[in-house]
Amino acid sequence: MRRRLPLLVALLTVPLLTQPARAAGKTTLTVDLANDAATLDPQLQWDTDSYTVYRNIFDNLVTRDVTGKIVPQVAAAWHYVNPTTIVFTLRRDIRFQNGTSLTAADVVFSIRRITNPSFRSPQLSQFDTIRSVDITGPDQVTLHLKTPYAPLLAQLVKLSIVPKAYVEKVGNTQFNEHPIGSGPYRLEKWQHGVEIVLAANGAYWGGKPPFPAVIFRDVPSDATRLADLRTGRADIDHQMTPDDAKAIARDPALKVLSTPTERVGYLFINAAYGPTKNVLVRRAIAMAIDRNAIIQALLQGYAKPVNILLTPASFGYVSDVPAWPFDPKAARALLEKAHAVGAHLTFLTSPSYNRQITEAIQQMLDNVGLKVAIDQVDQPTFLRRREGPAAHAGNLAQGLWSCACQDADGTIWPLFHSGSIWSKYSNPAFDKLVDAARTSLDPKQRLADYHAAFEILHRDVPGIGLYQAYAIYGARKQLQWMPTPNEAFFVMSMRWK
Amino acid sequence: MLRLVALRIGQAAVSIWGVLTIIFFILHLSGDPTLLLVPPDASRHQIALLRHELGFDRPLLVQYLAYLGRLLRLDLGQSLVQRLPVARILASRIPYTVELTFGALVVATAIGLPTGAAMALWRGRWVERVLVPIVLAGQSLPTFWSGILLILLFGVVLGWLPTSGAQGFSALIMPSVALGALTMATFARMMRIAMLDELSRDYVTAARARGLSFVAVVLRHVLRNAAIPIITIAALEIGNLMAGAVIVETVFAWPGIGQLAMQSIADRDFLVVQAVVLFVSVVYVLSSLLADLAYAVIDPRIRLTP
Repeated sequence: MRRRLPLLVALLTVPLLTQPARAAGKTTLTVDLANDAATLDPQLQWDTDSYTVYRNIFDNLVTRDVTGKIVPQVAAAWHYVNPTTIVFTLRRDIRFQNGTSLTAADVVFSIRRITNPSFRSPQLSQFDTIRSVDITGPDQVTLHLKTPYAPLLAQLVKLSIVPKAYVEKVGNTQFNEHPIGSGPYRLEKWQHGVEIVLAANGAYWGGKPPFPAVIFRDVPSDATRLADLRTGRADIDHQMTPDDAKAIARDPALKVLSTPTERVGYLFINAAYGPTKNVLVRRAIAMAIDRNAIIQALLQGYAKPVNILLTPASFGYVSDVPAWPFDPKAARALLEKAHAVGAHLTFLTSPSYNRQITEAIQQMLDNVGLKVAIDQVDQPTFLRRREGPAAHAGNLAQGLWSCACQDADGTIWPLFHSGSIWSKYSNPAFDKLVDAARTSLDPKQRLADYHAAFEILHRDVPGIGLYQAYAIYGARKQLQWMPTPNEAFFVMSMRWK
Repeated sequence: MLRLVALRIGQAAVSIWGVLTIIFFILHLSGDPTLLLVPPDASRHQIALLRHELGFDRPLLVQYLAYLGRLLRLDLGQSLVQRLPVARILASRIPYTVELTFGALVVATAIGLPTGAAMALWRGRWVERVLVPIVLAGQSLPTFWSGILLILLFGVVLGWLPTSGAQGFSALIMPSVALGALTMATFARMMRIAMLDELSRDYVTAARARGLSFVAVVLRHVLRNAAIPIITIAALEIGNLMAGAVIVETVFAWPGIGQLAMQSIADRDFLVVQAVVLFVSVVYVLSSLLADLAYAVIDPRIRLTP
């Protein structure tokens, strides 16, 4: 046996050393997703996996460049006639993948389709401020809004343009299974639960796509995606955990691509019920939490601490409103002043949130004298309780928020405005500021309003920002790609080295 | 015999209706999917609008009766999330689960039965001492862990088998082994017990006394008689394998109904979950029914006591 052991070790090691040369010369890019796309009709779903695939099949009215600036795509230019009327001039050289031209009629059809309640698009709320849309010239479309709405363009970044004639001809179900867009890739094959194969659109107006084919595979298990990446079965792991990212750091054939996103990890503190109704208790909680320890120990450094409940990737971020410092002694003193030492709190959570972070916060709060019970429920129940009466929403809840609009309006309005379902806090001065920022078209004034709004949130502490989350992708070393804060997955911006 | 079949089919229909009713109320009472579908910044009005369009604002009993009505017309409805007919979604996944279940049954039978027979024939000897830990491991290793170990060894380290996916025969091997391990252990234990039971019967002694060789006795008589309880277990195991496939399909990215069920439960895609449960219940009940009938065919005494 002793003599056979080296042979066994050699047999186990050789395949590692002789694995085929990866990526170089490959014509197909293979991406492992955590889920299959739910739909490929871009107006039906906007979950990350669906969006990752169909955004390469379709063009949108406007888009963001790598710096996050809103730039033309189907719309070549735009201007406001008045605060509720905006005119878009369209490009003339765009063709759908079936050869027909993309016209103003397609843009109007796309907007009317997604804003029609009977179409049942979950995205309706993002475009609900649009009152009407008309063709006002051969390449011109005019939008009329119900009220002035500053984040309109940020929302239109998510509006894909679909071909009117084709959709009307084949119907919604057929369009969902066999979509046609004007983007750099066309759908070749969709095997539900297995893979989606895209082929390059050679006639794409925006240039030659970098890979002849792209395959998106449905691989739900984190460990299996990692194994696929290691064996060369996949070129990109679209959703890597911080622990797996640390694990591949030693593999010379692989690399981690990560970027800070607009997604903000936060702690909701119920200002309308129980011991946390007292602002002193809320401040004590804010001072008991060590953000840096959470980031370094539990997120392996793949996050950045934030001072407010918004990230620098969003408009409205202000750097000079301070975070409550980590100071357990001061936190304990505040609790004593509020006669709240030993108070019992409920920490509502679901499997969608990092359990380790929940437990770390529980321990940190326990250290300053609060008794925290974790109440874990499934995600739909979690959402139902969070939006329901304050008494059922828990005293604390972890959150990971992204409006996919990179604007403070999409974060602090729904979280803290008294008219929002998620808010368990009411402050008329705060409401007035965020309402004004929503309807003002003057960026300077909006920024000033948000500055004042964040100062109020700092004082009242109905929640605190914990960290700016990172998007983490595992990839072959030869892949050249710079991920962006809006987590867009544009294959057009990738290359083999 | 006909009376027995009619009675069993009637019982099966009631069981399936019961399962569907329980699943319907459990799913609906734990929250509808509207909040999962809308963007986080949707207003109360917008959420109410979508909830109304999806029909979740109707009384639960009305929704339940509408569901049963559709089901009686053999209409499984349309997926809330995928926006495709549920029947089409299910039909695209069933062949993969059938393939995997068959693969697991082959693994379980090919390894489990000889292992069980060997443990009985060499009871108390070194053969049994070697085989018992293997059977125990098959029985006690959770599939989410054994699956990852298999991927690591045969996919990553040795590079012999694909780490995920459903293309080709080689992709079927690891999921079949992972899924079949528990059934293999069950078969081995049952086979051992059945064989030991048969080996102690008088007819074995009588056959040996007539001068038949031990091998001939085992092959001609003992194995045949020991097969009767195994048939029942095998039929019941088909249902268990489908339930176990939920984990295995997720680990190996195998696109069967287990993986579909996991995703649909997370999305609260009610009609898809209900259709998966309906399918698994029908398979479970039908396989039990077939086992009962096969048993009745093999053993005439059963026919007399419906």
